[in-house]
Amino acid sequence: MDITFNIGGMAGQGIDTIGDLLTKVFVRNGLYTFTVKDFESRIRGGYNFTQIRVSDRPVHCPVDDIHVIVALSKDAITGKRDQLVADGVIIYDDRLDFEPSEQCHFPAPLSKTAKSVGGSTRMTNAAALGALLSVVGFPFDLAKEVLSDIFSAKGSDVVERNIRVAQALYDFTAERFTGSCRTLLRDLRPGKATARLVVTGNQAVAFGAMAANAKWVAAYPMSPSTGAFVEIVSHARELGIGVLQTEDEIAALAMAIGASYGGVRSFVSTSGGGFSLMVEALGLAGMTETPVVIYNAQRPGPSTGLPTRTEQSDLLFTLFASQGEFPRVVFAPRDPVDAFEAVVRAFNLADRFQVPAIVLGDQYLADSAMNIEGLDVPGVTIDRGKLYDGSQDQYQRYLLTEDGISPRAFPGDPGVVVVSSGNAHLENGHITEDPSLRDAMVEKFIKKIPAIRESLREPDLYGPDNPELTIVSWGTTWGAIREAVTILNEKEDRTIAHLHFTDIYPLRTGRLEEMFASSERVVSVEQNATSQFAHLVTMETGHTFDGHINKFDGRPMTPRWVMDRVREVIA
Amino acid sequence: MTITAEELAPPQKITWCTGCGNFGILAALKKAVMELDIPRHDYVLVSGIGCSGKTPHYINLNSFHTLHGRPIPVATGLRMANRDLRIIVHTGDGDCYAEGLGHFIHAARRNVDIAVFVHNNGVNALTKGQYSPSSPRGYVSKTSPPPPGAPMDPVNGVAHAIVAGATFVARGYAGDQKSLVGLMKEAITHRGFAVLDIIQPCVTWNRKLTWRYYNERIYRLEEDGHDPSDRIAALQRAMDSSERIPVGVFYRGEGPLLIEGLSVPEGRLRDHATDLKLLEEIIDRLRV
Repeated sequence: MDITFNIGGMAGQGIDTIGDLLTKVFVRNGLYTFTVKDFESRIRGGYNFTQIRVSDRPVHCPVDDIHVIVALSKDAITGKRDQLVADGVIIYDDRLDFEPSEQCHFPAPLSKTAKSVGGSTRMTNAAALGALLSVVGFPFDLAKEVLSDIFSAKGSDVVERNIRVAQALYDFTAERFTGSCRTLLRDLRPGKATARLVVTGNQAVAFGAMAANAKWVAAYPMSPSTGAFVEIVSHARELGIGVLQTEDEIAALAMAIGASYGGVRSFVSTSGGGFSLMVEALGLAGMTETPVVIYNAQRPGPSTGLPTRTEQSDLLFTLFASQGEFPRVVFAPRDPVDAFEAVVRAFNLADRFQVPAIVLGDQYLADSAMNIEGLDVPGVTIDRGKLYDGSQDQYQRYLLTEDGISPRAFPGDPGVVVVSSGNAHLENGHITEDPSLRDAMVEKFIKKIPAIRESLREPDLYGPDNPELTIVSWGTTWGAIREAVTILNEKEDRTIAHLHFTDIYPLRTGRLEEMFASSERVVSVEQNATSQFAHLVTMETGHTFDGHINKFDGRPMTPRWVMDRVREVIA
Repeated sequence: MTITAEELAPPQKITWCTGCGNFGILAALKKAVMELDIPRHDYVLVSGIGCSGKTPHYINLNSFHTLHGRPIPVATGLRMANRDLRIIVHTGDGDCYAEGLGHFIHAARRNVDIAVFVHNNGVNALTKGQYSPSSPRGYVSKTSPPPPGAPMDPVNGVAHAIVAGATFVARGYAGDQKSLVGLMKEAITHRGFAVLDIIQPCVTWNRKLTWRYYNERIYRLEEDGHDPSDRIAALQRAMDSSERIPVGVFYRGEGPLLIEGLSVPEGRLRDHATDLKLLEEIIDRLRV
């Protein structure tokens, strides 16, 4: 089973609410869901949609085929028509001025029934859900209980009215709808999935930061990162976390650095434009060896670009941001579970190596949701790195050591003076222009890089030995590519391997070397125009790719899109 | 508890020019620190870039020498990390009133509990004498547009601070040690955002705002019938366009501290650990 629902309409019409209801109905019945949100940068109106893929197996990406569209606006009736499967259906509110002209059009009295049966057009959501479940033949009883639960907080009257509205549309549709779609779930049995936690990437990032004991979080709102900050703010009181919306991103990172110098784990969230403003302070974190974790939910740039769309085009900028040379760690998680772990690891490595760590997400990860078993909060360990044990005659913040890492003390600790400077400095932190000290301090930085690399993970490798093709990818494109590769290998007898990176920089090259040696061809797949990760690989290994697959229209990849491009490469 | 002059001795050789007003500021700072009953390890100097930014290297205290214009946000984060610290920002007119003006205004609005000492010499000195945000209209320097010089009025830091909500606003003079020490002590111990604009002649570059220029014009607010609890009167003094230059406390008030408006737990934030059991419960609320 693999069905996709698309709920479209104008911003402010309650598309998300219908999507949430639908997700809950399926998740409660033991199925897997993957939800993407496609919206415009506006508060009201426009054409937005939520697309929910439902399967009895875990799914990690959206697909092109849509089985049922629920349209709350005229644009939504026609907007995704070309992706509707042959026996699909478009349910729309019959109050819309749109004459049915195709077999798939199914006007239904959504808002009328909400008003007449439920007493309020606000129950159009429940009406849409009833119609939708009916066309796919979903047993109403399985939905009823979920609805009662969802609305229970609003009182039994509201529960009852919502259920009556949903039931009315369910019955109306069962009677009137003659398309073939309804056979899809007639025999549905609740699935076995126990994955009941529905999270977005932004939420997972936020939970990672909170689990890692981030106690100071500063941000300036910027799509698509804002959700992560909002999630932390909403629990700040309960968990005792200092949070502040700052005047700009410059202040956000500067405050985080100040808090970290004071001994507190600190976190900032932003998107590419905000990260651009943070670059100067990133260098300060580098020079002063002050750990900090930065989350960049990428969106298509340059400049304002596409504020609510997705892209992986900040990679090389992230690696090289700031004047000067200093070590940093970069992660690009592939899904919410990976994002949670990457953020926790980012905090630990930032502390251990006293460097800034950057987690690169994107709008696709930030806003898409899936149901998972859980996030491993009890498994989180905190590594604060080397802390000062009182063993020096006179504490020196930048003491030269074998591994380049100096023990940290914090201002307020009795008996020590903690001096940090963004200027080139002596071991005691005071400024110097001495050439040999400059050499020593730069060498101190640079010797951390191989040690950081060793503490990162090799990429995930999937597929046969000696493949005809290896696809190299990173970050959030994992789901679509993995599914495409699986289909090509299983259904089309291909031997394709997929090498996927979450730990980006310093780049681990062991498995890359193996794949360049054993694979007939190696091709990169990236959500950007210039194959930035491939450039990084070439820079670090000297190997060049046999081809590049790029997508930069701001929309997430689907397995079909990847398969079509890969077939072109193989042909 | 007393801090000795030896303990504060300059960790490195001072590079300011002979006759620089910064010497007066450093001397007053040392005196203020020695006279106050605050443990040495609780002081932190946070500085920006410029001649003022070097202050932390000439007095042996905790310090963070940051970026041009950014010491205030760095100090704000540090204040949140540890509410026991006494944080003094050393910034200049170029640092605070040019690149850092936005942060200055917002920090005042927030009433973040730090003291900000603006070493104000009316010139960008370390970069060799360009006009600064507090250079007077018509100030001639290598980067001033050809005649008649800097084509704008200076930033009025004291007035900005009062309007933005700073709860302690004063002006000191590097040439008046006694008064400066007192103002510093009050700024350091003030509960809230304390601004101390310190007039400090740059003997190398600024031929207009000289020791003599100031000595002839300065008068003391407390000797002139000013009521520092009156915010409007403070603003009037700050905006006085006559040739006289007031020093002393313009405004002294109180207001809620930033940290009180945030969800920062009791004690030092750096000692606090998030309750992971509670976090698990929070995450479990998302289960459907």
